[in-house]
Amino acid sequence: MKNFIKDLGYKFNISEIEYQRKNLTFLTIDKENVVQLLAYLRDYEGFKHFVLMTAVDWIEDGIFQLTYILNSPEKKIDLGIRTKILREKAEMTTVHHLWNQVATYQRELKEMFGIDFPGSPRVDESFILEGWDNIPPMRRDFDTKKYAEETFFPRPGRSTNDPSEYMKQKLYPNE
Amino acid sequence: MSSIKDILTPFTAWKNVFKEPVTIKDPLNDRPGAERYRGFHKNDVQECIGCGTCESICENEAIDMVAIAGFDAKDGDSGLRPSVDYGRCCWCALCVDVCTTGSLTLSNEYTWVDTDPDNFRFVPGVDAKSWDKNELGWKKPAGNYEFYGLKRVEMGELHPEERDSSFIEMIKGYSKEQAEKEADRCVECGICTATCPAHMGIPEYIKAIRNDDLEEGLRILYDTNPLPEICGRICTHKCETVCSIGHRGEPLSIRWLKRYIADQNPSEKYKTILESDNLQKNGKKIAIIGSGPAGLSAAHYLALMGYEVEIFEKLAEAGGMMRYGIPEYRLPYDQIDKDINYILSLGVKIHYNTTIGKDITLEKLGEDFDAVFAGTGLHLGRSTRIEGTDHENVYQSIELLRKITEGEEIHVPEKIVVIGGGNVAMDITRSLARLQKIKYGKVQVIATSLETEEKMPADREEVVEAREEMAVVNPGWSPQRIEIVDGKIKGLHVVQCLSLFDETGNFNPQCNMDNANFFEADMVVESIGQGMDLSYITEDVKEHLEMGPRGRIRVDDYFQTSVPWLFMGGDTIQGPDVIHGIANGHKAALGIDKMLIGD
Repeated sequence: MKNFIKDLGYKFNISEIEYQRKNLTFLTIDKENVVQLLAYLRDYEGFKHFVLMTAVDWIEDGIFQLTYILNSPEKKIDLGIRTKILREKAEMTTVHHLWNQVATYQRELKEMFGIDFPGSPRVDESFILEGWDNIPPMRRDFDTKKYAEETFFPRPGRSTNDPSEYMKQKLYPNE
Repeated sequence: MSSIKDILTPFTAWKNVFKEPVTIKDPLNDRPGAERYRGFHKNDVQECIGCGTCESICENEAIDMVAIAGFDAKDGDSGLRPSVDYGRCCWCALCVDVCTTGSLTLSNEYTWVDTDPDNFRFVPGVDAKSWDKNELGWKKPAGNYEFYGLKRVEMGELHPEERDSSFIEMIKGYSKEQAEKEADRCVECGICTATCPAHMGIPEYIKAIRNDDLEEGLRILYDTNPLPEICGRICTHKCETVCSIGHRGEPLSIRWLKRYIADQNPSEKYKTILESDNLQKNGKKIAIIGSGPAGLSAAHYLALMGYEVEIFEKLAEAGGMMRYGIPEYRLPYDQIDKDINYILSLGVKIHYNTTIGKDITLEKLGEDFDAVFAGTGLHLGRSTRIEGTDHENVYQSIELLRKITEGEEIHVPEKIVVIGGGNVAMDITRSLARLQKIKYGKVQVIATSLETEEKMPADREEVVEAREEMAVVNPGWSPQRIEIVDGKIKGLHVVQCLSLFDETGNFNPQCNMDNANFFEADMVVESIGQGMDLSYITEDVKEHLEMGPRGRIRVDDYFQTSVPWLFMGGDTIQGPDVIHGIANGHKAALGIDKMLIGD
């Protein structure tokens, strides 16, 4: 794995390498070079299988981190390709032309994080949140609790106790 | 275009006909969750202490803390247990990962069909479920995955060689960074508050440290405790024994955090921070006997309520046992003064060198004042009464400690034996060790107690630190007699002590007379407990005083005796320790106010 990554380093400008375990390594690369690296890995290094893609909202740093995970059936290893995009300009080049199923992941990321992939098929259609009228729910500035309180009614018959207050009532009510 | 291969390929599937299928035969019954599957909750309710941390962390508000029959609130356990609403649970398992005792886990069971939605709200571990015995499922992963530090931020202290020949304070106190780091370990469950005799707002003042709002911290301390510099150093910290973090790690250093708040606030700002500049007087006068923790605490809260407070103190300085009993290396005098001076700044007067019964009678106080609070403490040393204790070089620890505070030179021979295994015994042992070190350059003091090492009543750190200072602590011996030859003490004869109490729980030491020992000594110090001196209570008053168990005077919830104008608290009633005295004084102040002003 390490030799392979080293060779890859001669061809691409990899900024971070994280050896997660024997058969999984994460690489970080500029967003401009992601498509080129993915195509190279698919066509020349045997990473034929696109496993998944996902995002993380690093709200404090103002970025979204995208991760593409690829698998090589011959090498029996996974590679995670990470890149960072600006949160305020949440847009990334689509790679649905390399693997058809990417379009579905990109559609989900558009809905959940508000990250756009212009040109990706059906990217603007609802994925699971039909009728959603709020900011994308996986963005960390989305207040899940507030939304739940406003949207759903509390279940009747529930009550709770604060441990410290309860102990006062039971053990020293007059102090 | 088709080839012969395209025609034959479908038939190659036949080669698999006798192979074990990879699909599940009976998917409704035979599909266990994975090893670390996050299924329905399990809770070991005997381990659980009802701290409610699971409820606090739950993003979905799926957890309620509910009372359960058979589980009562007690020290270290709220008696509550978590109830889970599966209409809201998202199976994230944060509740498991944050659990302070490790009692909460998730099973790998995830299928459950029921027609009544209310059944999906239950108390794991109490309401029996089929998965209660499932071994598999999510448990907090081992290793370095913790939401809060399990280790204390270490307290800096002077090394033995830096402290063993002086009385300078050995504990250095936390820096801002250290205090905030330590405060960050608190999960704010508040289990500690019930155990603290003064019921201090512990999670609240720790939160104030985290928020770097130490003025707010000081206000919280003074709500329940007007001696924070003192308690921040020498409190018996019962709170720490029940700290929920202590179940899997080291309990919070609550005492040192309290000290940090007090240390960081300069005394000249106290009155502004605590808003005690303009106290309205109510014209009533209260006398307080003794300026120990109980008396000072009562004085503080009474002064805040507008009472004119006068304290009558037998000795030359205020503080009682805190000044005259606790050695300076544990509690420096300037820190005692800081707490006391603030109370005096509220208008409290102290009459020093004034003994009740000699300089003024108790009845006179009763007549001149609207109420009297007596917090006179335990200042009489008890003797073992073994042969030889009437020798002039047999001392009471409490007298020696007082003389050391007063700056009086005491007899310090080369070899000393201390009888006693409590904190006072350690105080005198370590004080004598210092004096020996100063005088002779070496230490030869032995402390011995009836109790064995494990059962010694002294705080563990006191024993450890005494040994670091080269004192010998040799517990588990019963003193028999002091050998005196030609009028000089030669040493103490002891035999092995097997047990202290009989089956009925009465004090009745059993010894192995065949296993004897002899500790050489020129001087013996007895430190086996103290008694109260109530000689100031005149017969006329005593006649009307109801007595309670163990020779103590009976008081009600507000520390009022059966003589209505006389309130009593502190070591003569509860404890003995500083924090009970503070709590008693506070409660008595409320009682006095209730009696004189009403609700």
